[in-house]
Amino acid sequence: MQKYFDIEFWRRVTYVDVTLWLMRAAVIIVVVWGTIGTLIDGRYSNEQWFDFVMFGLTMGGIYALVALGYTMVYGILRLINFAHGDIFMTGAFTAYFVASPLGKSGFLEENLLISMIIICLTAMVTCVIIALTVERICYRPFRSVRSFAPLICAIGASFFIQHSFRGMYGSSVRAYPDVEFFDKLLSIGSFDFPMIQPVVILAALGSMTGLYLIVMKTRMGTAMRATSEDRDTASLMGIDVNRVIIFTFVLGGSMAGIGGVLYAFVFKQVYFFMGFFPGIKAFSAAVLGGIGNIPGAMLGGFFLGTVESVGPALFLDGLGIVAPYQLRDLIAFTMLVMVLIFRPQGLLGERVSQRA
Amino acid sequence: MAFNIVASSFEQKYIERSQWHMTGMTGFIFGFVALYFNFVGLMTQFMERWIIEGVLTLAHLTIMGVALFGGVTIAIRSKNLSAAGKVANGAAVGAMIGIALSLLMLFMTQLDIRFMFVALSNKLFLFLSWKQGLEGGITLQIVLSAALGALGALIVVMPKVLRRPLIWGLSAVFIVGLFSELIQLVMQYEFILGFRDWFFTWEGQRVQGAMVVFVVSFSAMLFWTIRGGAVKERFGQLSPSGQKSIRYFGWACALILFLLFPAAAGSFFGQVMMYVGLFILMGMGLNLELGLAGLLDLGFVAFFAAGAYTIALFTGEHELQILLLDRPLTWWEALPLAVLVSVAIGFMFGIPVLKVRGDYLAVATMGLGEIIRVVVLSDMAAPLLGGSQGMLHIPRPSLFGWELNDPIYLFYLTLVCASVAGYFAWALENSRLGRAWMAIREDEDVGQALGINLVNVKLLAYGLGAAFAGLAGAIFAVMLTSIFPHSFQLLISINILALLIVGGLGSLPGVVVGAAMLIGTPELLREFGEYRFLAYGAVLIAMMRIKPIGLWPSAARKREIQSAEEIEASIREQMEEEGQRT
Amino acid sequence: MKRSTLLKSIAAAAVVGAGALAAAPAMSAEVDGVMDDLRVVKIRAGEPITIGVYEVLSGPDTALGLDQWRGIQVAASDAGDKVAGHAIRFLTEDTGCNAEGGQTAATKIAANTQTVIALGGSCSSATTPAAPILWKAGIPNISTSASSPALTAPDRGPGYDGFVRVIYNDNWAGKEVGDWAVNVMGFKRFATIHDGSPYAEKLVRVFQKRLVELGAELVSDEAVSPTDVDMRPVLTKIATSKPDLIYSPTFVAATAYMLRQKTEIAGLEKTMFVGSDASFGAQLLEAAGKDVVGYKITTTAQEVEAQGEGYPAMREKYKEMFGEYPIQGFHGNGYDAFMMAKNAIEKVAVVKDGATYIPIAALTAAVKATKDHNGMTGMLTCDQYGDCAVYKFAVYEFNSDDKSTLEMGKNPKRIYPEKF
Repeated sequence: MQKYFDIEFWRRVTYVDVTLWLMRAAVIIVVVWGTIGTLIDGRYSNEQWFDFVMFGLTMGGIYALVALGYTMVYGILRLINFAHGDIFMTGAFTAYFVASPLGKSGFLEENLLISMIIICLTAMVTCVIIALTVERICYRPFRSVRSFAPLICAIGASFFIQHSFRGMYGSSVRAYPDVEFFDKLLSIGSFDFPMIQPVVILAALGSMTGLYLIVMKTRMGTAMRATSEDRDTASLMGIDVNRVIIFTFVLGGSMAGIGGVLYAFVFKQVYFFMGFFPGIKAFSAAVLGGIGNIPGAMLGGFFLGTVESVGPALFLDGLGIVAPYQLRDLIAFTMLVMVLIFRPQGLLGERVSQRA
Repeated sequence: MAFNIVASSFEQKYIERSQWHMTGMTGFIFGFVALYFNFVGLMTQFMERWIIEGVLTLAHLTIMGVALFGGVTIAIRSKNLSAAGKVANGAAVGAMIGIALSLLMLFMTQLDIRFMFVALSNKLFLFLSWKQGLEGGITLQIVLSAALGALGALIVVMPKVLRRPLIWGLSAVFIVGLFSELIQLVMQYEFILGFRDWFFTWEGQRVQGAMVVFVVSFSAMLFWTIRGGAVKERFGQLSPSGQKSIRYFGWACALILFLLFPAAAGSFFGQVMMYVGLFILMGMGLNLELGLAGLLDLGFVAFFAAGAYTIALFTGEHELQILLLDRPLTWWEALPLAVLVSVAIGFMFGIPVLKVRGDYLAVATMGLGEIIRVVVLSDMAAPLLGGSQGMLHIPRPSLFGWELNDPIYLFYLTLVCASVAGYFAWALENSRLGRAWMAIREDEDVGQALGINLVNVKLLAYGLGAAFAGLAGAIFAVMLTSIFPHSFQLLISINILALLIVGGLGSLPGVVVGAAMLIGTPELLREFGEYRFLAYGAVLIAMMRIKPIGLWPSAARKREIQSAEEIEASIREQMEEEGQRT
Repeated sequence: MKRSTLLKSIAAAAVVGAGALAAAPAMSAEVDGVMDDLRVVKIRAGEPITIGVYEVLSGPDTALGLDQWRGIQVAASDAGDKVAGHAIRFLTEDTGCNAEGGQTAATKIAANTQTVIALGGSCSSATTPAAPILWKAGIPNISTSASSPALTAPDRGPGYDGFVRVIYNDNWAGKEVGDWAVNVMGFKRFATIHDGSPYAEKLVRVFQKRLVELGAELVSDEAVSPTDVDMRPVLTKIATSKPDLIYSPTFVAATAYMLRQKTEIAGLEKTMFVGSDASFGAQLLEAAGKDVVGYKITTTAQEVEAQGEGYPAMREKYKEMFGEYPIQGFHGNGYDAFMMAKNAIEKVAVVKDGATYIPIAALTAAVKATKDHNGMTGMLTCDQYGDCAVYKFAVYEFNSDDKSTLEMGKNPKRIYPEKF
């Protein structure tokens, strides 16, 4: 507070600062005004608010799982794995060809847990294979070079993967089988929700905890952290950097695989283009949380999912804006930009040094 | 962003492999490639496409080409073998490819897998088995592939005098066949129609046409291989000024041909070239931001949209225009306005992300670009911007009472704009501002310490970069005469970034080369529909693997790379020495 | 060569030399004695006839255009791969469902002077710039699914004189839905959802306008992004206004998301969910699963009792040719567009010395004169502005998610009107 009373401070204020203050103020006023408007209007009941949050957390859990892949690769290689969204697609799409026969034969309903493990494993294996191929083709050759080449290469890989799978599995939409257990309504007090929502949230949290333990407690995890800190020093300490990088891609791919299966059981439809936009969103989530930071990616994912679900109703509805849910991406990206204005390094990120 | 090379301490080790291993691996990889083409449905698509009418389809050529390349690869890689050994290994690789395809055929007949792989149709089976049934097909496929593999190896073993003309002849037939339709579009004049029809049908080239192409390119290359040295020598004997004038004459001829080409070749080429021109304009804009100032921008399409929508708002009969002005503006009057609006949006973009660095910047700008797109599409802004119904009836510009209503005219308009903009970009690069940009690109903190006003310099980069995109958007609006929000996707920003890197970051000629390659080629291959993007992806990967610094890198960047490579090499030497000592 | 054409080509060459091209359609043409007001395409014996096709074949909307392109191919196969005794050569170009793609695709088709007619334009945004380019080159255009009213409005301009379409006009469809929902069903409260596509948005707007005229209440006017998968929040928002009917003429994917997720929303149990034929197809049954039961689509009447027994056979042929059931709702339009073009071409084609001559102005007139064409999507009769679909409003309801039962009239079953 002290600094605002100092005349020197006010002398150094530039038009940029003023514009930024105005922008922040505008966003805050819109948010507050809209929220008050919505709440006074009383259009939504408590149950509905609860629903919004649950929807958001379900989506957020999936974003978080995908975001982990971005963030880990970034931590180690300082590169955006642009193809990660499509890696997510390959897992979900391929696992469909396991899930569908399982569903038809009735095995899925009878042995849900075993079936889910089989489906998840299929998706994870596919994702890992594709992720490692991408690493081998697009990242390894450029490992000692800092340029945009790997980014462009990954963009190329993204197109290539998408259209290869379109050619192979067809351009039509396929749908995962229904599972009765997931559709069952669960009630807590006056709040009702289908089983699939807590299942997804818990599965996402569980996978993330597992991942966190791997990274924090195992030897390989320690090696990963060391490598992300300083690759050259790590290699001098006897860490096989090559193995660490491969391990990172394996972990990221597995998370994307699990995310893909969860996504497919919530939204059912899988097709070749399904990975692109969740990929972009998850990437934003990773940045939002502070890229390179594993808890940050989880936080970013859940935050983004919730904002997308709650935001339009809470902020925009009260302002009387038509079709607020069409502007869901607007809210998500405005939040992203605002977070980056306030904290250029993301929610949990470290200050970006010159190396980035 | 630091673009300098970081000499890292670890490197790839290439282990000498045994011949068996190498042949096996090559066969495996090429077999995989052959299978991939089938699984992905390329074969099914290529079956319809004649290269030489009635003789050879693109599918035949592809499946045979894979075996041929397998032979070529193994022959090049196995350096220690005799010629006969290379040919034998080529045959082995070919046979492996044949076996892979045979397995696929077996797979297709024994299992019902079309549920999963939609491309594996009956038609494909008939094609793969050469209509010989399963057993006959398998035998034929293996023998044929082995023969082609051997042939591939044979080409490598051949003396150069024969090899080069042969490769050129075959490639020429292939390229003419692939683009036969486009070539025919150029040959639209009455006096060559007869010649064209003798050479081509609309399906592909005729046999006689293919033979002429082959013979001509074969003999031309044969001549060059035998006599080329002498020609070069003669050229070297000329006086330096003579050499120079010949070179200038060559460049001038190329320039004139380029300028006249769209007018002579027709609207389609005019259209494609002007579309490429728009991306060159935008590429130059992003080059200021990214190539010079080092600011990664994935929301560039927003400036493009701003230019297009400004033109639509002020030249058409529109409420806002009626409110503000007494008559619609002409395109020429609205043009500066469009550029100004883009610049303003550029500044607005720049301010929030001033402190954001590196990859955070990429995401922040992408977010801003998406915000603009969502707003333009939304019902909220629909009363002003038309929403998803777009804005229709944008009048075309006219020049001295002549309406520019053909892509060819618009191409020349784009060309003029791009030349002017190119001059500005070039001047900026060598100006004080340009040097300031490069300084902050290398190191922001040092730049600031040297007295560069970071804020102004960065905002100018965004604003000026946006001006180029605004100009492109203004032309885009009159090219279509109707604009829809669906045209302003994230994909456009990604495309511009890709063309910049593929061309060579920071280099103006690189922008042109990159745009021609990444925007022009997919336009020419529009008939392949969704498979264009498969090729696009493959080309991006291949380009980065082969030339990571771009096709036409700037001189400064070349020097950087060279010196960095030298440093790396010296480090490596030192380490090796140390290794020997211990 | 005839003198007039020779003169013309010399004139053209002169203009080229000056660096400018005059590109107005020629006023009249004559080839080997065949006269036409526009131009005549000559096809020698044994040569194929060239038909342009431009649809969206890449990107997120691939299924829409690919479905129509496959419909065209099925039709060609049914026609024995021959039109007027010549093999068919399709000049297929991808539009990417955007304006610039439509423009480039049309320019390429227009550049080929052998092109007789162009089929397609899956998206209104691509078709709007494309049709005038084709017509300037003397190529009539039958659009398969560009339904924007602007394309056949009386003030559409001379550039669209060669444009007709086999898809209905959004103006009729939206209005009829409004009439049915208010007058027949007696509903009072309505909600609408569109996905930002020109098609869905226009239908929804027309529907809303009709509601207001009829004195019903629009309680919720919502939209989603085409890339959205999570529809639960927007459905929750709609549920708060308790509508009797939700009208959402979106495409297969978005519709299926809504149908599935609707079951998770409290308060929408009794709300009727109505879409358009943009979501019709086996894909919907796959994507929406059992939740498709009860879903209603509004469309122009198309079923066996009215049209003969084409559709099931077509669906099977489609599966045979492409390995999957129809992936969108407009493959029938592709089929009809091709058949209409074929009939018109065969009507005007002149055979002389083994070669076939096709006078284009006559062809365009023949296309526009199409009357009572018995198509996959209904009876087609063109009006003066190029609307060929006869909109015989009907509502169909799905009753099973078994793909083998999919057939207009059975599943979905017609619920309105009971008799024609």
